[in-house]
Amino acid sequence: MVKTPVQYNKKQRRLVMQENVAAYAFLLPFLIFFVGFVLYPMFMCVYTSFFDATMGREDIFVGLKNYQDLFQDEVFWIALRNTLVIVVVSVPITCIFSLWVASAISKMPVAATSAFRCIFYLPVVTGSVAVTMVWKWMFNNYYGIFNYLGKDVLGILDKNINWLGDEKYALWCIILILLTTSVGQPIVLYVSALDNVDKSLVEAAEVDGATPKQAFWKIKWPQMMPTTLYILVITTINSFQCFALIQLLTSGGPKNSTMTIMYYIYYSAFKLYKYGYGNAMGVILAIIIAILSALQFKAGQEK
Amino acid sequence: MKKVIALLLALVMVLSLGACSVEKTVETQAPETQPAATEGTQAAAPEAAGDPVEISLWTYPIGKWTDEATVSALLADFNAAYPNITVKVEYLDYTNGDDKVNTAIEGGQAPDIVMEGPERLIANWGAKGLMVDLKDIVPAGTFESVLSSCTSADGAVYEMPVCMIAHCMAINRDVFEAADALQYLNEETHTWNSVEDFFKAVQAVYDAGNEYVGTIYCGGQGGDQGTRALITNLSGGTYANAEHTEYTYASQENAEALAKLYAQDGITFDTAIQAADEIQAFVNGTFQMAFCWNIGQEVTNADALSFDVLPMAFPSDTTPSLQGGIWGFGVFDNGDEAKIEAAKTFIKFMTEDDAQYIKAVEATTYAPVRDVEGVYATDELFPEYNLLSPMMGDYYQVTKGWTQARTEWWNMLQRVSATDGSVEAILAEMETAQTAANAAAAAEG
Repeated sequence: MVKTPVQYNKKQRRLVMQENVAAYAFLLPFLIFFVGFVLYPMFMCVYTSFFDATMGREDIFVGLKNYQDLFQDEVFWIALRNTLVIVVVSVPITCIFSLWVASAISKMPVAATSAFRCIFYLPVVTGSVAVTMVWKWMFNNYYGIFNYLGKDVLGILDKNINWLGDEKYALWCIILILLTTSVGQPIVLYVSALDNVDKSLVEAAEVDGATPKQAFWKIKWPQMMPTTLYILVITTINSFQCFALIQLLTSGGPKNSTMTIMYYIYYSAFKLYKYGYGNAMGVILAIIIAILSALQFKAGQEK
Repeated sequence: MKKVIALLLALVMVLSLGACSVEKTVETQAPETQPAATEGTQAAAPEAAGDPVEISLWTYPIGKWTDEATVSALLADFNAAYPNITVKVEYLDYTNGDDKVNTAIEGGQAPDIVMEGPERLIANWGAKGLMVDLKDIVPAGTFESVLSSCTSADGAVYEMPVCMIAHCMAINRDVFEAADALQYLNEETHTWNSVEDFFKAVQAVYDAGNEYVGTIYCGGQGGDQGTRALITNLSGGTYANAEHTEYTYASQENAEALAKLYAQDGITFDTAIQAADEIQAFVNGTFQMAFCWNIGQEVTNADALSFDVLPMAFPSDTTPSLQGGIWGFGVFDNGDEAKIEAAKTFIKFMTEDDAQYIKAVEATTYAPVRDVEGVYATDELFPEYNLLSPMMGDYYQVTKGWTQARTEWWNMLQRVSATDGSVEAILAEMETAQTAANAAAAAEG
């Protein structure tokens, strides 16, 4: 059947036009911000990545040289490896832990659920600098609480461990802190998603003899997939963009063992004034995040 | 009717957007409290009544130039003489200060005046052509050696020096006395008897039950002047050549000094802390010596210190060569002649007249850069620290490629901490760092 286009008279056309104008007027403030603070910087990032750009002189076009240098830069590969370790470790743990906590607290009385939600959300709303400084004190080699407990109280350490100064431990300390600041939002989202699960389906499954485990995985879990997908994507992006912790705690050291792509971008651009090089790294990071997010969406849709 | 409301809403949103930005502008232009001018400067009646000009002053933490009350009093003096010039102050720190200034430069919003040292004003922003030559307002009598450190290779004075200090180290005198380690130093001259005696003192303090005597901090570049001075003084070696064109620290003697520190009981290499952490740990009694110290640290930490601090020159078998710090004002060329003139007027006011200069210098807690009578007349601490001033050595922080060189240094120390401590391994790491630093110096031409 051939679809005939809708014919509007003059008055209707004017009304449609008015509605369009109103819609664009509503969109305008956001569009200005989106173009000014997202699209334009993105374009400039890609554009500048083809230049030898630094402070105090005109940029020099170098084509793909920044990208070539990048792939021959040992520190970039270390940073990429560390970033991937952070993502691979923190994303699954964040999701699983959040789901477990949310499942546990959602069965509690309302007041208890709210209290736990607040507790887990506190590190998210507390300033990252304050949180990081407290962790820095706890990890301190000389008077930190971890060494005090391990050596003086429990006696499981022979001597103090320089948690943030030893390349064996530093990255894992960063991941631990990242986890504490990452789980708050997923827990809140999962609690909300569990509340929204259609109770009649769960009851019907239980009447049909489904165990609590089966009811969770066969009924609740599929209904929470959109939330899980969102959490996966957001946590992945946040893990890739881990920066403040590194800057405040280790500056990428010791011996680049906590260097991440985000910190290396900052370091190249703001410490060494290699703007083009930093932007090239930013482009590569954006591509990696885009590919991973697309894969996650694809996997989520298939489910 | 619904459409009319929708359009009105859209209009309100667009307007509110504009209103938001206006509100933000108002916030940043909030009136500044200006305390009454202090006595003595009231007499300096308005000399220059002209068009109102607003300039910005960004200051790094240089003594009490981070203290709002102190700075406000200085500004009040200035405004008593120049009511038409408003100075907006922003206080920077050494962790994020560079990022703030660099971001502002790239955004075309550089401050009109910045207060810092030659390594930033001359070697960095000055070399990039961003600063104004202040040669025409340098007061007579400014020490020639100081002025030369503030002068670029092309003869421009990009920093108007205000104060200077010889960075030193410090020991916990109480602990050293208890460990009978004061015998290894001269308290009157604040020097060590010899390099060997320095190590004997560290050993004595360690043997007295102090596990952590001192640390080679290398968690970042903050306060790296301490570790540089310690190593080059122990060895008698150099960090850069006299022409300030090349780095020279990868030498046998420097590697040997570092190896000796590596092997010394009580001295650790800490890759997790920077100078600020080291100072804090010294002040709270964790470490018994600090390699990043000056009078400013003692003044700022006075309330927290529960022991007698003895400032010391770095250990050397010859005359100690201390790393100098010179701080002053630089003016960014923002293309606005009125603002540049206003900035110069401010700097002249703070540095030209002796009475006002004394106030500006005393606010830094450091030494003046010209002979001026009456400075620190009632201060007990200054004379003690000023004994170290004649030991100030070469101001090599203006060597080309300085930014990269600083990064290479602390990264090198981190790598050294993971070696077996042999001179060969340390020298190899030093050579790697020096090669990268010299490449950066060469790239800057």
